[in-house]
Amino acid sequence: MPDRSSANAALAEANKELRARLVIAEEMLRAIRAGDVDALVIQSDAGPQIYLLQGQDAEANRFRGEMLAQVSDAVIAVDLDGHVIYINAAAALLYGVTADKVLGLYTSDIYTTLWAKPDDHAASITALERDNAWRGENVHVTHDGRHLDIESSITILLTKHGEANGRLGVGRDVTARKQHEEKVLISEIRYRRLFETAHDGVLILNPATRKIIDANPYMTVMLDYTHAQLVGKELFEIGLLKDRAASQEMFNSLTLSKQVRYDNLPLISQSGRHQDVEVVANLYDENGVPVIQCNIRDITARKHAEAHVQLLIAEVNHRAKNLLAVVQAVAHQTAKYGDPAGFVARLSDRIDALAAGQDLLVKNLWQGVQVAELVTAQLSHFKDLIGTRISIEGPSALLTTGATQGIGMALHELSTNAAKYGALAAPEGRVDITWDVSNANPQEFTMSWTEFDGPATVAPTRSGFGQIVIGRMAEAAVEGNVEVTFAPAGLGWRLRAPAVNVLAQPGRSQFPVPTDVR
Amino acid sequence: MTRKNFSTRAPAAMELAALARTLTHHVLRLYVAGTTPRCIRAISNIRAICDEHLGDRYELEIIDIAQQPSLAQSEQIIAAPTLIRILPLPLRRFIGDLSDTDRIAVGLDLARPSGHIPHRTGS
Repeated sequence: MPDRSSANAALAEANKELRARLVIAEEMLRAIRAGDVDALVIQSDAGPQIYLLQGQDAEANRFRGEMLAQVSDAVIAVDLDGHVIYINAAAALLYGVTADKVLGLYTSDIYTTLWAKPDDHAASITALERDNAWRGENVHVTHDGRHLDIESSITILLTKHGEANGRLGVGRDVTARKQHEEKVLISEIRYRRLFETAHDGVLILNPATRKIIDANPYMTVMLDYTHAQLVGKELFEIGLLKDRAASQEMFNSLTLSKQVRYDNLPLISQSGRHQDVEVVANLYDENGVPVIQCNIRDITARKHAEAHVQLLIAEVNHRAKNLLAVVQAVAHQTAKYGDPAGFVARLSDRIDALAAGQDLLVKNLWQGVQVAELVTAQLSHFKDLIGTRISIEGPSALLTTGATQGIGMALHELSTNAAKYGALAAPEGRVDITWDVSNANPQEFTMSWTEFDGPATVAPTRSGFGQIVIGRMAEAAVEGNVEVTFAPAGLGWRLRAPAVNVLAQPGRSQFPVPTDVR
Repeated sequence: MTRKNFSTRAPAAMELAALARTLTHHVLRLYVAGTTPRCIRAISNIRAICDEHLGDRYELEIIDIAQQPSLAQSEQIIAAPTLIRILPLPLRRFIGDLSDTDRIAVGLDLARPSGHIPHRTGS
């Protein structure tokens, strides 16, 4: 009995299975007859083969589908509910998805849309409602976080009765192009700024016509022409080259060597201002079109500076020769009048005195030396006595280079003499040094050295070199007059000279400054 | 009296069973052959049915046998489009563009047959 029962159960199960298969087979036949299927799968030795049941529409649709599949732009179609019903290979690749995973989903499951401006989304909807089409740009953010700049074209799909049944979106990834455009824009801004703000003139010329096609703002400053006046002119017409022949020659050279350089050309602005300019012209290719760029640098200031340096070198040379001549004369006179045994010491002291004046001039950039400064420097050996036994008194007065040298040497000789034989040789001796500039017209400069309480003075029986220094040399330096007295109280020295020969103009270098070197 | 009581309880039990099924996670597999119109309609229709009845409690896998014919072998697919309900069991199979959404919803046990008037208890 159990065997029979189980056999019956197995039969019932097999019967049920057969019925189920029959139902499926019937359903299949019904679907095929009703035209509800598009493809049949036939088993073969090579595996399942797909046979599309194609009518004319099916073939047309297949052809369209093939075309869309082949295009490099991303194509996605959605139905009225927004479900994805088609995605081509380019779109799948772009968004990093596969068709089988996203068919039936929403586009928002594939990417998120970002709009450049808040109103863009609403504007796209309005355009689709009004025109059945919209074209524009937005950003699609893929599910793996990539931001894609997309140039989109969306069209409403219509049935043959004109009813909307979906949308077709065609998108082109323009991310690389946008990035390139952004780089080009940044580059344009950067180099445009260089061009606009350069303190060199820049001209761009057409090699074929030799005419200016662009000029930077500094060029208009250099020439006093407006940009519009410069454009269309040739170089010789703006005074950069002397004539048409020179212009022709420059262009010939440029064609041969691609670069021409002029180290120094005269350039006259429209208002007559003269400038020295350095010109470098380059012939280069601008996206397949040859252009010439001329860089024009105003070297007027540099030329002046160079000329000034040359003048200074000549002046330094001249002064060095003068100084050497003075040293030579001092050495000669020192040897002639003094004790041969003390020659080296005396010469050394006098050269030191000269050097002290020179140092002050250099320190003051050759703009003169204050009298007080000179006195202090020349009496540096007696600096402890200044303020006690040596008094210095006088107004602010700036000495010229010549006066510094002459008066400085005289002060050195006077102090040396006072230390050996005069007021500074005695314990109680004093020296008053004063100077003044009178208010008379013309102004007079006076300076005096007066000794007190020293040993009794005796007028020298013969004239030594020291006397020449405090007398004739000092007079010659300032074209003045020196008076020396040998009073019982001590030696007196008084210099008078026209102030104009003695005093320097404050703030003005004693070196000549060129005003025009051409 | 008994019959009446039975008839009042039975629809309620059926409704509960249907409700339980809609709360179950569904796994569906739709076999299509490229982007033919019926296949596209089938995708659209099954999405609409699932969205309406299941919300997010379903998983729909779309398999393009035009791209990979070998995938048609495992489920013995002989036409496209074909929808197979993998879960919950038993396996169900629907052929065509699924445009008769009411019939498909009933076939998937997501809705009751139309024409059926739910029995109201009480008043």
